[in-house]
Amino acid sequence: MSLRVLNPNAEVLNKSAALHMNINAAKGLMDVLRTNLGPKGTIKMLVGGAGDIKLTKDGNTLLKEMQIQNPTAIMIARTAVAQDDISGDGTTSTVLFIGELMKQSERYIDEGMHPRVLVDGFEIAKRATLQFIEKFKTPVVMGNEPDKEILKMVARTTLRTKLYEALADQLTDIVVNAVLCIRKPEESIDLFMVEIMHMRHKFDVDTRLVEGIVLDHGSRHPDMKRRAENCYILTCNVSLEYDKSEINAGFFYSNAEQREAMVAAERRQVDERVKKIIELKNKVCSGNDNNFAVINQKGIDPPSLDLLARAGIVALRRAKRRNMERLVLACGGEAVNSVDDLTPDCLGWAGLVYEHILGEEKYTFVENVKNPYSCTILIKGPNDHTIAQIKDAVRDGLRAVKNTIEDESVVLGAGAFEIAARQHLLNEVKKTVQGRAQLGVEAFANALLVVPKTLAENSGLDTQDVIISLTGEHDHGNIVGLNQHTGEPIDPHMEGIFDNYSVKRQIINSGPVIASQLLLVDEVIRAGRNMRKPT
Amino acid sequence: MKEVVTIQVGSFANFIGSHFWNFQDELLGLAEDPSSDPVFKNHSLNMDALYRSGETQQGTLTYTPRLVSVDFQGSLGSMSSCGSLYNKVASAPPDVITWTGNVSTHAAEPRRRNLFLQRLHEEEQEHLTPVDGVNDVRNSPQREIQDEDIVESLENGVQYWTDFSKVHYHHQSLHELNGLWMDAQEFDNYGIGRDAFSWALRGEEISDRLRFFVEECDHIQGFQFIVDDSGGFSSVAADFLETIADEYTNTPVLLYSVRDPASHTIHKSQKQTISKKLHDAVSFSRLSSFCKLIVPVGLPSLSQASPYLRIEDERPYHCSAVYAAALHSISLPFRMEPLGPTADSRYVSGAVDINGLIQMLAGGARRNMVAILDVAMPAPYLTGKQVGQSLLGNLQTLTPEIAEDVEDLQSVESMTIHGALGSGGHRASVSDVKDVVNAAYEKAMTRPMFCNLSVALCPLPIPLPFPKIFGNLVGQHGELLGSPVNTSPLRGSLDIHSIPLAGRLRSSSAVLPFLENRLGNLRRFGTQQGAAGADLVRRWGFGMDELEDMGETLSKMVVELDPYSQMSSDSD
Repeated sequence: MSLRVLNPNAEVLNKSAALHMNINAAKGLMDVLRTNLGPKGTIKMLVGGAGDIKLTKDGNTLLKEMQIQNPTAIMIARTAVAQDDISGDGTTSTVLFIGELMKQSERYIDEGMHPRVLVDGFEIAKRATLQFIEKFKTPVVMGNEPDKEILKMVARTTLRTKLYEALADQLTDIVVNAVLCIRKPEESIDLFMVEIMHMRHKFDVDTRLVEGIVLDHGSRHPDMKRRAENCYILTCNVSLEYDKSEINAGFFYSNAEQREAMVAAERRQVDERVKKIIELKNKVCSGNDNNFAVINQKGIDPPSLDLLARAGIVALRRAKRRNMERLVLACGGEAVNSVDDLTPDCLGWAGLVYEHILGEEKYTFVENVKNPYSCTILIKGPNDHTIAQIKDAVRDGLRAVKNTIEDESVVLGAGAFEIAARQHLLNEVKKTVQGRAQLGVEAFANALLVVPKTLAENSGLDTQDVIISLTGEHDHGNIVGLNQHTGEPIDPHMEGIFDNYSVKRQIINSGPVIASQLLLVDEVIRAGRNMRKPT
Repeated sequence: MKEVVTIQVGSFANFIGSHFWNFQDELLGLAEDPSSDPVFKNHSLNMDALYRSGETQQGTLTYTPRLVSVDFQGSLGSMSSCGSLYNKVASAPPDVITWTGNVSTHAAEPRRRNLFLQRLHEEEQEHLTPVDGVNDVRNSPQREIQDEDIVESLENGVQYWTDFSKVHYHHQSLHELNGLWMDAQEFDNYGIGRDAFSWALRGEEISDRLRFFVEECDHIQGFQFIVDDSGGFSSVAADFLETIADEYTNTPVLLYSVRDPASHTIHKSQKQTISKKLHDAVSFSRLSSFCKLIVPVGLPSLSQASPYLRIEDERPYHCSAVYAAALHSISLPFRMEPLGPTADSRYVSGAVDINGLIQMLAGGARRNMVAILDVAMPAPYLTGKQVGQSLLGNLQTLTPEIAEDVEDLQSVESMTIHGALGSGGHRASVSDVKDVVNAAYEKAMTRPMFCNLSVALCPLPIPLPFPKIFGNLVGQHGELLGSPVNTSPLRGSLDIHSIPLAGRLRSSSAVLPFLENRLGNLRRFGTQQGAAGADLVRRWGFGMDELEDMGETLSKMVVELDPYSQMSSDSD
């Protein structure tokens, strides 16, 4: 109450009220997300006040769309979203795990236990679980040729939680091939080299992998070819527009002729640059019927377009910065910043360049390339919210494949890991712990069960039955997960259900940290604002 | 024709933008309306500079602003972020085709459209041609919703900037910041918005939208950037500007940093005051470092701005209208066709593009990149002996914290006058206006070193959704009356159809106090030994070095205007 002396407006929640505020917030957030989990979860359609529709089964997207006000909930949400930023998946699991840790703790705290003791137990359990996952994970050898089957299984596991089976399976191949396409030996995988492009057109099953690049703009000249085969590609970042503002110092002229001369001189410089490109084109294309395309990051003004069109060159302006890198990886050659040192070596090559027009939207496909190290996933769908949802799922799928390659291991899914870890904690670790911290370990172990429990719940199964039969199998030494259709134990290995090692590890790591912080709060102080406002 | 791309970041910026585009839409509508004043039919202003033509997948032609707008999630009220042209919002939620399992629908209460939006909606149903189907609707008495009711409902019930917008936006134009997880009131300083732009690929998404509009331009003349710099949006804008400067290096940016009068409220606690002052300093120095010309706009109170206006400060709907009108004036020369030195147009004169304007104001011998915005709303008659005095005297500044009556021999001005009225309430011709204004400057006590004058015949049209801010001394065509009209003390869009307007940007040492305040605050609370806000700026993510750099840049700006300034001495 000394705070009141300092600031009479300050509002203070005492220890138990503060704790319950935190616990309730965590549970509240968990309740929102719990139905999302797993291949039997519920998809959420959010309709905004103006009729905007968002479709999501992704915890990450859902959290971002929610207007969260409660400070505790915001803290958990930030952790969960960070989880997604780091490892690409596991947002929902993180929220569930934190919520369940808080819920388990509540029982003990209500019985008069000090949160500090629980937190100590969490710490021990966390370290033990992290050691356990090292033993439990299934190593995957990633040589020069990664095992495509295992990559597919991981991708499928993720995708099937977001999309219906047939579409998920179709996308599985797409994402695995995309990642394998951009993968270079001895280098880390840069997923930005997979372009994700979308078209509002046709059906979701028309989504496909383009080995090459799809650009979301076209040439801006009526006489340029709409389709060109056997095409040299010049990727450049050179201004091909007359651009007075480049000169900062302002120039002076005393009559109209001087001004005209000045303008003409500057125009000439631009024309010179265009001519150099045309020269190169004539050099490589004379005597054969190959074509030539210029893809420029800077602008190209109409007179320059005209010159290029007359020379039979297809030209695109204002390409995305990232596409400069992607184009070079897909087509070969190099991106040039000046036209002074153009050689045929700078050029890339594509078998086919063509334009596709949908209303005012134009797309340029650069396809049939040799040895691509960059590719495009072209998502099609009948409306924006469907496209957005597929896009989110594709991102998650790509991350899952990337993680697998980099982790060189996977973890058995369908709840198998959580149950195994729980049994390990209860049967082995708990005995080694002195005193009441044991209860912390126990709470942690039971909190792990939130994943299989929620999976069972979302499938309409009886959670108690499921947990009993699964733990029973584990005690007999069989590593099993949950069959979502029947509730029977299955071998995830046989079914091909694998999760990412790094995702699981991250959840185990961050969940207890946040839960501990929230449990150890003994006073909430806020000056001048009402915090008991309903969330 | 050279294209302008407009960017609006932040709540108040979007309020201003909404009025701004309403004016443009009204101009477009009047040009097509057979019953309108001929002055609107042939105004020689090229609207393509601001607008783009497009086509939906169904083949309907569209004409939409070349605009990227960024605001809070939920700030669009009843407007869909996809606009209404490119996809019709379905009445019933469609089937979910990507999931065969359970679907749970969480529908927010549909936002009620106010009377004005209902009317727009009805009209569209009638026309079935959504392309700028809004024109002069004042003369159709058979409508169910009366104009008076609409004006009344807008007067009392504007909550979102979309409530009074009659413009169709492109589906790439409107971006909402989601996942901020905080109230608008909390989003009030530079530090809090610092990661908002880069977070989760948002920056890329926004830059991509901008690229969409830029790619279409054959020859972009520049960006017109309006930012609400009173809170976290200024750091969103600064990050955005940084990528623009990086990507479109040679394209000039004309930046208006605007403020709602409400953001000037006096803070109770000292902590808040320090935070506010540091925010102002940091925000200004960051924003100014990524543009070619910055125009701070936003007085603590507009109610004293003009004897002819009655503005309620607490209503963004009111204040933003005045600022939007001024921005409209300044943007007119950007859309005039440049003519040879000998040719003369009956309708316009004095075309300048954004680059030209910036060179003129900031690129002279004195490199002052901070300009002051003035406006005369409505502009007075250009007749009589006192004409010069009355015009120049009527210009009211909209930039805060500037010195008055400063004699600055090196100042440079760019003035736009449009729709000015001459003797007997007739529109003054372009050449008359030029003569009068030049004569006025000749006679004036203090004269700028250089003044560029742009004149257009076409006045500012007052669209239906416009606040009642005119006093009873203003006539139907914006003429200033000798005696009050008896009808009502407040006149709005129903009584007044257009007004003459004069807007002016000037580069003058009058802006010194503005700069000195920021520099002083930065030093006092930020960089000085044991400064009270040092901790705060560290939390915002600025190191001491960065702050000192900012201080140095600010003091350079001060020295540029006043070589003998006291403040420059301790910069080392």
